[in-house]
Amino acid sequence: MSSQPLDPHYTAPAAPPPALPPAAAPFVRLPKSPGLAAFLSLFPGLGQVYNGRIARAFVFFFAWVGSIYLTASGHEFPFAFVIPFVYLFNIIDAWKGATAINARYLGGRTEPEDDVEVESPVWGGSLALLGVLILFNNLGWLDLDRLARWWPLLLIAVGAYFVYASVQKKKAGEGADEPPRL
Amino acid sequence: MSRPGFSPEGVTLGACLVALGVLWTLANLGRLELLPVVRTWWPLSFVLWGVLELADLWVRRSSGRS
Repeated sequence: MSSQPLDPHYTAPAAPPPALPPAAAPFVRLPKSPGLAAFLSLFPGLGQVYNGRIARAFVFFFAWVGSIYLTASGHEFPFAFVIPFVYLFNIIDAWKGATAINARYLGGRTEPEDDVEVESPVWGGSLALLGVLILFNNLGWLDLDRLARWWPLLLIAVGAYFVYASVQKKKAGEGADEPPRL
Repeated sequence: MSRPGFSPEGVTLGACLVALGVLWTLANLGRLELLPVVRTWWPLSFVLWGVLELADLWVRRSSGRS
């Protein structure tokens, strides 16, 4: 038997509204897959093509092919060491590129390294100088083989540059208001 | 926000492709030997790239100042 209220004007209290399901995080389809970019980079340059960075793709591809060619044509040192460096750097670059594109898509910050423009003439100057040295060597105006024993000076120069750059970065960080990164 | 300056890599790549196309065409016409020319003169791409990097830096510094 159902219990009927005696009062004919009785109305049952309104049932509370059903609880809403917990809000799920909205599904966002990211434009790039870092894993796929890294996988494609197993063939150097292909991950950069996937990321839409065609110039970078050419640079990695030709650096890889060029270092293999130079190693095979009798310049094992130092180009044999350049091959794995270019190969691994190419994979890491593709991964970071895809991550940066996703971060930009989400409106967040990209990795600091991806936003930093080269603000030093060292990069451009070094490239131009390297090109001039190799060109003069090819034209027979300079013998780079005679300079081969001095190559460790390059390590010293690069190391000194890194020290200088990190000191400059630390000075810039001390001047800024932002808390130090952990 | 648009980036002041230009892309040195993109310009270098484009210029190198144009140069390679011209040289290859001349080689196909029998005017020159492609491989020896490329083997000798390829470092010019580094020179161009470096100079463009310096120019890009100069352009960005100029636009930042103005």
